[in-house]
Amino acid sequence: MTGIFWEISKRNIRIHMLRSSLAMLGIIIGVVAIASMGILGNTIVQEVSSSLSSVGDSVIVTPYAGGGGGFGGGGGSNNMYLTNQNFQQIKRSVAPNVAIPVMSTSAHMKVGVGSDDIVAAIYGLPPDDTKKLLPDLEAGDYSNGNSGCLVGTTFAKDHNIKVGSRISIGQNGEYGTLRVTGIIKERGMSFDISTDNALVVTKDWFENAFDRSNDELNEVVVKVTKGDTADIKTTIEKQLNRNTKDKTVSVIDSKATLASIFETFGMITTFVTAIGGISMIVAGVSIFNIMMMSVNERIKEIGIMRSIGTQKKEVMSMFIYEAAIIGVVGSVIGGLLSIVAGYAISSLMFRTTEYLFTVASMLSVAEGVGFGIVICILCGLYPAWQAANLNPIDALRHE
Amino acid sequence: MPPVIQFSDVVKVYPLRAGDVVALSHISFEVEHGEFISIMGPSGSGKSTLLNLMGCLDTPTYGDIFISGIGVRAMSDVELTNLRRDRIGFIFQYFNLFPLLNIVENVSFPQMLKSQQQVDEKRAVEVLRAVQLDEHLYTHTPLELSGGQQQRVAIARALINDPDILLCDEPTGNLDSKTGASIMELMIDLHRKGSTIIVVTHDPNIAEYTDRTIRIVDGRIAE
Repeated sequence: MTGIFWEISKRNIRIHMLRSSLAMLGIIIGVVAIASMGILGNTIVQEVSSSLSSVGDSVIVTPYAGGGGGFGGGGGSNNMYLTNQNFQQIKRSVAPNVAIPVMSTSAHMKVGVGSDDIVAAIYGLPPDDTKKLLPDLEAGDYSNGNSGCLVGTTFAKDHNIKVGSRISIGQNGEYGTLRVTGIIKERGMSFDISTDNALVVTKDWFENAFDRSNDELNEVVVKVTKGDTADIKTTIEKQLNRNTKDKTVSVIDSKATLASIFETFGMITTFVTAIGGISMIVAGVSIFNIMMMSVNERIKEIGIMRSIGTQKKEVMSMFIYEAAIIGVVGSVIGGLLSIVAGYAISSLMFRTTEYLFTVASMLSVAEGVGFGIVICILCGLYPAWQAANLNPIDALRHE
Repeated sequence: MPPVIQFSDVVKVYPLRAGDVVALSHISFEVEHGEFISIMGPSGSGKSTLLNLMGCLDTPTYGDIFISGIGVRAMSDVELTNLRRDRIGFIFQYFNLFPLLNIVENVSFPQMLKSQQQVDEKRAVEVLRAVQLDEHLYTHTPLELSGGQQQRVAIARALINDPDILLCDEPTGNLDSKTGASIMELMIDLHRKGSTIIVVTHDPNIAEYTDRTIRIVDGRIAE
């Protein structure tokens, strides 16, 4: 019996094509808003995730920089550097995980004779640990001597640096000249060291060039291969921050920080999608209005149907089918268009569409489509109920 | 065999803010199988209320109504709807066909409600032939037909479930006299074949076609 009411609903939509199309347009806009916002949020998360995930197993220890805020901090010490003793304590407490001492600064430099003055970050690492912290090279090899260095991929591209190029450090080369032995693969944003636009030299060279001692470490990076990063963080804090009023180090658990970042992105995505949802609610109001018009126009027809033996639920189904057809067609078109919109947004904003056809993105489209259909059916329920509960005698008299 | 319709001391009161309106007062009558009856009366006399009660579109305030021996007073909406679908055929003044459906679908509609299945074209064609509608019109929509043709379709729709009663509300009221006469001829033909027909009308010429006339005045039967 579904057949005849389904058929009547289809034909009613067809004879009111303009009105039905406008209602569908509202739903299409709503679905596109929700789904494309979802795709956008997901693409951002995936993009950031791909940049950060490689450092998800690190614990970064830096000198404690005060914690209370305000004038003069909140009572903690303000150290510039970590000492070798701090490093040794960290190394012992995290074993068998590897602790890597890192020195860093920024300096003027020139690539080749007569080139422009460049300012970039320079990291000093023990040669044995460089490979552990930076396992992937794009070209060349690790430096096996004091005068060699690695450069980041962005730095190399921007300044046309190749393996074998020479870089003189200092405004007049006063710190010495380094030969590029390798180019570090792109690492993106990271919590430990950001090498894409920097140089990595040996710790010995760094100490000699910048007159640093072994007690002037900028940070210690712990590569966690055994145990949980949160436990390692706690261990280090217990070991080095025994005096709670006068802390020595700040410890960052990169995994927890990542989780917090992703949680924030998730909230942003939800918020933006909710804004998209407002357009869907507006579309729902339009569907409700159109369904009420449809009921009002067909009061007499409903009266005839009821008088010749149509049950209330059958009258109701006819209007719900109508709302559902508008909802399904509008939402599916909206879903397809949101993929197109997602493609355009990804291409223009991120210059990649690799995250478009991921499960999360497709789930956003499915959510938009599902929400569109549900909104349409919900907005058709009351008009359908009203139609079904019309008094047949009054409905028959209606002109 | 019980009467097709039995009204027993039926009262219908419409409660209004300004005061109760008694539309029908202590009405009792019976309609036997195969009778052809007209119901006449001036405007406001209670004809429409009587028709609504006979058609199970409404229930009495007091008294009892039996359709083929089945008491309707305590029936639920679902039961009344099923009764209308299975035992009563309605014919309206303004034909009241569904403009979105073609002729065969319009005629089949009550049958589809009853059988919960798709269009049975064979049965629809059978009743359409019985009301003498040209076959080339079967796939047309109601608005493409004349008034007389539409009323024949409406009669076919009323007949398709083999109802116990045909209730006609001014069936020729919207037709010219010649077409009206042809529709009444069709009614007489159906009556001869055994249908029970009740016609509500204010036209004495229509009443002349029937076996018996029930006159309603101020909500009471005036014999």
